[in-house]
Amino acid sequence: MSDASTGSGAESEHDHAQHHEGPGYTTPQAAIEEGGREKLAYVMSLYVGTDVDAPDFVAVVDLDPESDTYCEIIDRIEMPNRGDELHHFGWNACSSSCHMEGLERQHLIVPGQRSSRLHVIDAADRRNPELVKVIEPEEVFEYDLSAPHTVHCVPDGQILISMLGDADGDLPGGFLELNEDFEIEGRWEPPGEIEMNYDYWYQPRQNVMVSTEWAAPKTYYPGFDLEDVEEGKYGQQIHFWDWEEGTVEQTIDLGEEGQIPLEVRFLHTPESTHGFVGTALSSNMFHFWRDEEAGEYRAEKAIDFEAREHPDWDMPVPGLTTDILISMDDRYLFGSNWLHGEVWMYDISDPSNPRRADSLSVGGTFGDIREVQGREIVAGPQMLQLSLDGERLYWTTSLFSSWDDQFYPEEAERGSVMLKADVDPRTGTLELDEDFLVDWGECPAGPARAHEIRWPDGDCTSDVWQ
Amino acid sequence: MASHEVRLEWPTGRTKTVTVREDETVLEAAGRDGIGLPYGCRTGACGTCTGRLLEAAGHESNDEQVLDVDDAFAYRRCQRALKDRHRADGYVLLCVAEPRADCRLAVGPSVHTELVENPWK
Repeated sequence: MSDASTGSGAESEHDHAQHHEGPGYTTPQAAIEEGGREKLAYVMSLYVGTDVDAPDFVAVVDLDPESDTYCEIIDRIEMPNRGDELHHFGWNACSSSCHMEGLERQHLIVPGQRSSRLHVIDAADRRNPELVKVIEPEEVFEYDLSAPHTVHCVPDGQILISMLGDADGDLPGGFLELNEDFEIEGRWEPPGEIEMNYDYWYQPRQNVMVSTEWAAPKTYYPGFDLEDVEEGKYGQQIHFWDWEEGTVEQTIDLGEEGQIPLEVRFLHTPESTHGFVGTALSSNMFHFWRDEEAGEYRAEKAIDFEAREHPDWDMPVPGLTTDILISMDDRYLFGSNWLHGEVWMYDISDPSNPRRADSLSVGGTFGDIREVQGREIVAGPQMLQLSLDGERLYWTTSLFSSWDDQFYPEEAERGSVMLKADVDPRTGTLELDEDFLVDWGECPAGPARAHEIRWPDGDCTSDVWQ
Repeated sequence: MASHEVRLEWPTGRTKTVTVREDETVLEAAGRDGIGLPYGCRTGACGTCTGRLLEAAGHESNDEQVLDVDDAFAYRRCQRALKDRHRADGYVLLCVAEPRADCRLAVGPSVHTELVENPWK
């Protein structure tokens, strides 16, 4: 089971020069040069809460334009149980462990957001991964944690998972640590460091981790209720941690303009203390950085997406910026306005002053492009993934089953899609690839939703450098 | 162990009657009979398994009379996914609800979507 055991190696899609002994790439630039074009994607696919009486699955999608099965789901790794709500997932090892001889990027840790069940998938055979281990919810609940979300590896082989609730789906959440044999090691942080939790990212050279806030699972699980926002049940803080100690050093309250801070990213260069967090409900991007003089982190609103009037709706509609990512070269911030139906890219070469480069209006409530290859695009762009070279942006359309049902009820009946835009980083432009469509509406058991996307050999939201 | 007849009704018109013991949840009993009801956390936190009480012990829910779901069920764990307004409207989480009376329930994935609406629309 241990990654350090075999010399046979994961069957890598790329063939990069071995400048180092461990997984990943020595630098972000090395990832761009050596990673090669993404030919497969792993995509979280789910049936939870729909009419389809089947378990969620991990889809293996063919992204090789030379292949006969381009744009098709070529394999499905079914979960052993129904009702998981596969959502986010991550690797046992990434570039943060590139110094670890023998460790390989081979196992995917795939949590069930609703079930609190943890799955381990062996992806040594990149095209035919297999489920090798399941940690049942009861075992997770023993640590008074539930609702697993973000998975990152720790540089020396462990895995850290953000947990959004306690065993009752209430607050506080915390972090669960797995060892290199995928056994629960225990709770990572001392209890009581945080109340709400969601996404996190770490920058080990700066000895910092940043975490964000959604809400208690019992609050967000059933759907979005504005009353809960009014009662302060949704988050608006971000927490800066001492990465080595596992303790919160500083909490920043983003205020009313920073409601529901979800996806958070540091720049890829390990030297940087700059990063961005998308505050979904307020639909703003906050830039954060360490003020060396003051010896603490600061956060400032850097991009503001205005709510839009809808002729038939009661209130102006927020963009709902539910996902962001930073290109591997740290030049662009990409994001999705799920409710409006927009993907955008901003030049962040001066991170304090992001400059709008381009955007695409597709699907969602206001999108100009309403169909691709005759397939109606129901929901807006949601989870993003970018090629390592920054030239191809992909996205899926499901946010969370119960929230989909609220805002895009047809997503359950039609299934999600995966779309792609060609990016020109030189000119800062985006263009929809009209030839590209992966349709979860055609899955054998029935229409499925699609959420987070990963490449087999590292991507813009998986890899960290030490 | 006493048991109760629980009639499950889908919006499509499909119905199934399950005999549910007082020490098992409606979800467990349905699963035992091979009936695929939706569910998620199985701890009363997520609401995926929500059903709505239509009739209990011979009394129908209608405009004049709202049934008290707590007369029809005991709960293995607290129904944390439901707010007071949901309970008052007869919603019940089938993953933690053990019957105390014969009843009819609206089931299927469309029931949990009734808990919230699009606040901007």
